[in-house]
Amino acid sequence: MGFVMLMLPETKNKTYIRKKIVVAFFLCAAAFLLLIGRLVYLMVGCSGYYTEAAKNLHERERSIKAARGRIIDSTGAVLADNRTVCTISVIHNQIKDPEAVVKILSKELGLSEEYVSKRVEKYSAIERIKSNVDKATGDRIRDYDLDGVKVDEDYKRYYPYETLASKVLGFTGGDNQGIIGLEVVYEEYLKGKEGTILTVTDAKGVEISEAGEERIEPESGNDVHVSLDVNIQSYATQLAMQAMETKQADSVSILVMNPQNGEILAMVNVPEFDLNDPYTLPEGSPVPANQEEKQNALNQMWRNGCINDTYEPGSTFKIITAAAGLESGAVTINDRFSCPGYIMVEDRRIRCHKVGGHGAEDFVQGTMNSCNPVFITVGMRIGVDRYYDYFRKFGLLTKTGIDLPGEAGTIMHKKENIGAVELATISFGQSFQITPIQLAATASSIINGGNRVTPHFGVKVVNGEGKTVKVLQYPVQKDIVSEKTSETMRYILEQVVENGSGKNGYVEGYRVGGKTATSQTLPRGSGRYISSFLGFAPADNPKVLAVAIINNPQGVYYGGQIAAPIVRQLFENILPYLEGMDYNT
Amino acid sequence: MAERRRRKQPENYFDYSLLFIVLFLLGFGLVMIYSTSSYEANMQGHSSTFYLRKQVMATIIGLAAMIVVANIPYHFWERFATLAYFGSGAMVLMVLIPGLQYSANGATRWIRIGGLTLQPAEVAKLGMILFLASLVCRMGRGIRTTKGFFTVLLIPMPICLMIWRITNNMSSAIIVFGIAALMLFVASPEYKKFIIIGAGGLAAVAALVFFISQAASSEGMGFRSERILAWLDPEAYANGKGFQTLQALYAIGSGGILGKGLGQSMQKLGFLPEAQNDMIFSIICEELGLFGAIAVILMFLLLIWRFMVIANNASDLFGALLVVGVMGHIAIQVILNIAVVTNTIPNTGISLPFISYGGSAVLFLLIEIGLVLSVAKGIRLKDL
Repeated sequence: MGFVMLMLPETKNKTYIRKKIVVAFFLCAAAFLLLIGRLVYLMVGCSGYYTEAAKNLHERERSIKAARGRIIDSTGAVLADNRTVCTISVIHNQIKDPEAVVKILSKELGLSEEYVSKRVEKYSAIERIKSNVDKATGDRIRDYDLDGVKVDEDYKRYYPYETLASKVLGFTGGDNQGIIGLEVVYEEYLKGKEGTILTVTDAKGVEISEAGEERIEPESGNDVHVSLDVNIQSYATQLAMQAMETKQADSVSILVMNPQNGEILAMVNVPEFDLNDPYTLPEGSPVPANQEEKQNALNQMWRNGCINDTYEPGSTFKIITAAAGLESGAVTINDRFSCPGYIMVEDRRIRCHKVGGHGAEDFVQGTMNSCNPVFITVGMRIGVDRYYDYFRKFGLLTKTGIDLPGEAGTIMHKKENIGAVELATISFGQSFQITPIQLAATASSIINGGNRVTPHFGVKVVNGEGKTVKVLQYPVQKDIVSEKTSETMRYILEQVVENGSGKNGYVEGYRVGGKTATSQTLPRGSGRYISSFLGFAPADNPKVLAVAIINNPQGVYYGGQIAAPIVRQLFENILPYLEGMDYNT
Repeated sequence: MAERRRRKQPENYFDYSLLFIVLFLLGFGLVMIYSTSSYEANMQGHSSTFYLRKQVMATIIGLAAMIVVANIPYHFWERFATLAYFGSGAMVLMVLIPGLQYSANGATRWIRIGGLTLQPAEVAKLGMILFLASLVCRMGRGIRTTKGFFTVLLIPMPICLMIWRITNNMSSAIIVFGIAALMLFVASPEYKKFIIIGAGGLAAVAALVFFISQAASSEGMGFRSERILAWLDPEAYANGKGFQTLQALYAIGSGGILGKGLGQSMQKLGFLPEAQNDMIFSIICEELGLFGAIAVILMFLLLIWRFMVIANNASDLFGALLVVGVMGHIAIQVILNIAVVTNTIPNTGISLPFISYGGSAVLFLLIEIGLVLSVAKGIRLKDL
């Protein structure tokens, strides 16, 4: 600075200019100082805030799918599993040899070169070529080690048994979330928790590999163990298919459950659909005109008849009337009746299915004959008020609470609208509708000693280490009928199979109880029938209860003749099988 | 050193300090241009040194021009003073001629003659320095009169208005006016007038900002008023006018005290527009931290200090005023650039001298340094 302040020999004019130059310098220096202050504020004071904001800007989050929990049956068979699939994509900026990429990808993925090259040439951060590529192909593509080609692994739901119990299990959608069936109900246990990969990218979203990545590992979903038994389900499916074909029926449903605790061993609704390809309508079905129509057709295909649809139960419902009659004391097994082939209710003449009438019979014989006048008489003796109370007590007015979505409620008269005629028809199972699962659950409760059980599939939730996370509990309503009534009902229903209308349900060497039904669907006179049979065994201590329902059979349509044999065949096979299971436990 | 130099070249003084500061800034600028532009250049399909090479070329041409100008006695240029004034006005007008005009980034600010693009505003800055230095000298004591004062204040106005209106470049207009104001400040013995004008100007700006921020709710605000609103709250305008500012703040703030290290900027990866250009200082902050940023500011302070020393020792008023003009030019640009980048003032396009990418800017800056060196050469050592 030595010579700065030295003055040139000059006028006063020059002196003020010097001063002003120095002032100008210090003004600039002051401005610089202010800016330094501002920088300190920004780079020290606000550093944390801006660093965080910048980090958010630079980081991209990619989610890692969690493996969905499996659905496992009572024998340990995996009903719903995961398969590793790959997504192949290209990153434009990283491709070094576009021709090779196009050639190899089109060859391996079976796509046209034109399609692939269009995507390879597209100037974008990342372009998906194909998803749901099986793992072997993905591995092969990875082995080529092409620059700019990315193979991402992913999980896809896979159902090893394809169509088995399709309407029960349900399937998952694009985000691996349950769409129908058990997949929906147990979503919270099955879905797991997605992980994330945090990568640093430039403004176009291209990952900067040197920056590395942060990973939050996904948590796999828990396995759900269900009471369904693959063997019983498979066999029941075979029987249902057979019946549907031979009787050219619209559909056949078979329900097998444990009447003691409500565990469902099989629930068949043929035709089933392929769970690995749930969006394809069955072959031969009309091509839907638009998206909405297709969706309706799909919904129809996915419907679980056992729980989503109601029907008039017909004579199987006589079990409920009988139980109510016995419980209320309106009837005893020794009460005598006389059937002339019809009964007058007010001014209506309601016919028995046997035109000539059953003549004189006691209550047990009346049940064996499935005699309508007997049950109408019992119904009348119970009266509307008491009948309605039993209806409620047996749980028929509420849903069963089964662990499947979309259970239909009972369609019943309002109490004040029930006159003598309505009461008469209700007594033998007409003029109202229930679901098959409702019938099975109510019948189970009546024969198991009077405990209203909740029908269900889910047994327990098990985590990846095999530890039980949760044992699923279901409500039980005790004493809906007395033990004595229950015992009487078992005896009566065994008589039905031993000597009555259900004799086709008889299984050599086993005590089987049951009840047949043949109901005409609405509108009456359409010639469409629903034949059904409800059976259980052993009759003295029921371990298994089965319901078979044949919807619109051609030819012979009596439940005793076409539905009872299905249950008989089923029992012939599964009763020894279930006994074997018992020995093991 | 000084003694040896005095023995060898007793008549001449050469300001090596100034030269080294300039060379350092140029070298540092090239490093930063390479750091900020290489990724972007790659993304645009060029080689990573694309921008660097262009800038090196401009710098070499500029240094050659600087050496030539430094060796010409500065009084040689005095005769071109009037020509410089009208010439720069004419060049600004040339932007309007379709055959000559050249647009980049959506703005028509350049003229192109024989493959060479030139920004008339840069010429005008140099022209204004030369013209005003000569004018003040010719006015002599006339500068002390009110008439003289306002003559010097008003004469740059037409050029400023033309730059603002024709090339739509308000920042250059402000710089040209700022240069003129600083030269007038030095040449005039007045203080009071400057304080009054300065205070009046500040009050007007404050009133304008207040008015705009109050009227912000009502629709139909113009292009510039939105810029003011974005300045007051860049995050509210994050997708519009506030975008660049906000990205610059992310860069600066995330640099912290020591920075991420040279070449480690994230914001230059396409997030911050014009990273190698007007916004290069924010990348310096991000990569080199507060220390790097202060070091750069200190280098500029050193540079301005050299200008002051040379101006104070210039052998005549013309030389002193030339140096004051250059000092004004560089100081104003540095201050405004850093102020914009740190969102201290509303966003307007001003490049950082010697460091920002830009060919004509560095060429004319080096010509100005040549002028200053020439003035420095005129200092008689025996007078020191």
